[in-house]
Amino acid sequence: MRREGKARVWEKHQKAIPSADEPGGNKWGFVRSCLLQAVAPFTEGIIHKVMTGKGNKGLGMDIRESAGHTSCGAIGFHGDVTMLETQMVVAARNFSMAHYDLGVDNFFCTCVTSFGNYCEIIELWEHEPELLEYTKKTLEETTGRKFWIPKVSGGRPSVVHASDVIYANIKKLAKKAEFSLDGVKATDHLGCHYSKIFPDESVGGGEFPRLLAGMIEAYGGELVDYPERRHCCGMGFRQCAIPENRGYTAACVYKKMKSLKKTDPDCKLMITNCPGCGVFLDAEQGTIAQVMGEKFDVHVMNYAQLAGLMLGYDPFKDCGFNVKYVPIEPLLDKIGMEYDKSKTQKERRRPFGP
Amino acid sequence: MGKLYDELSKDIEIKHSMYACMDCGTCTALCAAAEFYDYSPREVMDIVQSRDDEKIKELISSNKIWYCGQCLSCKQRCPRGNNPGGVILALRRLSEKTGLFAESEKGRQQLIAKRLFGDNMLKRGYTLLATNPIPSHFPELGEDWEYYHEHIKEMREWWGVPMDLENSPGCHRMVPEKDMEELRAIYKATGAVDLMNKVEEGMAKKLGGKEEVEKFWQSYQDNVDSRLYKIKEKK
Ligand code: SF4
Ligand code: SF4
Repeated sequence: MRREGKARVWEKHQKAIPSADEPGGNKWGFVRSCLLQAVAPFTEGIIHKVMTGKGNKGLGMDIRESAGHTSCGAIGFHGDVTMLETQMVVAARNFSMAHYDLGVDNFFCTCVTSFGNYCEIIELWEHEPELLEYTKKTLEETTGRKFWIPKVSGGRPSVVHASDVIYANIKKLAKKAEFSLDGVKATDHLGCHYSKIFPDESVGGGEFPRLLAGMIEAYGGELVDYPERRHCCGMGFRQCAIPENRGYTAACVYKKMKSLKKTDPDCKLMITNCPGCGVFLDAEQGTIAQVMGEKFDVHVMNYAQLAGLMLGYDPFKDCGFNVKYVPIEPLLDKIGMEYDKSKTQKERRRPFGP
Repeated sequence: MGKLYDELSKDIEIKHSMYACMDCGTCTALCAAAEFYDYSPREVMDIVQSRDDEKIKELISSNKIWYCGQCLSCKQRCPRGNNPGGVILALRRLSEKTGLFAESEKGRQQLIAKRLFGDNMLKRGYTLLATNPIPSHFPELGEDWEYYHEHIKEMREWWGVPMDLENSPGCHRMVPEKDMEELRAIYKATGAVDLMNKVEEGMAKKLGGKEEVEKFWQSYQDNVDSRLYKIKEKK
């Protein structure tokens, strides 16, 4: 009985995401992330490779984007230059293009802030019919396009994030993997806009975050929990973008890193799913080393880079570990991945000469 | 109840973010900004709930509303279902519409946000461009980031994410002009263009003309620190 009860509770925290073997789960429309393209462009490359790669190199999926889609603009929304009304119509335009121009029924976004914003908008459309009407009317008037609402998760109006799509196929990926995290301790850092704005839209809900933890375990890693695991990375939009505010970002990273080190000094790997976290949790370790003289050497990488490494993609050319503050080589040694040792660390990162 | 509160309560974000706050302080306890700055989302909620226009005016003229990092951790944990981060969004828009944002140092940074996120969106369809995080603005990204910026086109091709492709899918592509026109029409019809204009106007009023705004902007570009521009005392 107790087990049944637990299963029931657990069921409540699950999120339906079509896997590649389920109907529709092999064909997706998607939208890009302006934050990724600016601060971690290689991520868009490795997401694409892992999702579309054939055989043991990926999931062999058909993923499509339209040339005319735009950023959702949510960075400008949380950076206070757009209105929620703006966000709704831009979202509706991107949805409409995916369905009517690309012929897809499933839709994911590569940015976590897009994900949070799309969830917010869909909830408003559901609860306030006049906002739905406003969106339809304004979309038609400004673009001549027809409204469409994606229903990706369990047939109800919803979208999913690229990391959800990877998670839905994680067993398959782990089977194809050439490498594993066997003997490697790792922790996760979920983007706040993935798991906190609408906790029910994240795998495991607000209380039992499973998305990245599930990936770590599927690849054979040992999951580490620590007190500040859910604390924000400090990206903060205007806080990271305007250099004079970035102390905020560094302070958040410092708080997290100190807490992790105190809990388990051997845990040197942190997996992310948000573009901002993936960059700042790494880069601010550089600031902290300079300002506080303290080093943490925690590798920060996102779910797609991790999948790329596990499938045996090149850590530099494919996964983009060229521009990380914390050098990736110690981790490559740990998982037994070969790289060109005849070259210096610098040479490995600079394919076009010094 | 006063005029400012009435204006504030029209914001969709307020309607969905502000129920009855019981001043428990849960939000402040977990808030990243409260730890770093002299800031408390509980206090913000308390002021808005008081509906006192004087207090609201003081709040939206101050640095405080700009301290929030918009993580929305508070939304997840508020026992009353409030969303202090959402209330902040509404307060910031009111501050921009009334020009009061220009009264505070952090508020004046909105010119930077507008010219970065806003103008980028209207010009290219992205809030951030590959050419924005330049090494002088992101020294912590280190020498390898400098190298990447020196070889930006080749590096992106090498990673399989070429930039600025025309009439093509892809990361950092050129969004076709007809699509950009649709986007601009949306920004105009939904009030985003007006909001951005308010930022430029509010800054011109505070600094003493458009030329001064350009000097502020240039000073930020040159020094990577907006605080080094000194506002002239009004005679
Ligand atoms: S957590 Fe909610 S109820 Fe408590 S002080 Fe913050 S907003 Fe008010
Ligand atoms: S959204 Fe703002 S107020 Fe809420 S926890 Fe984050 S920083 Fe604090």
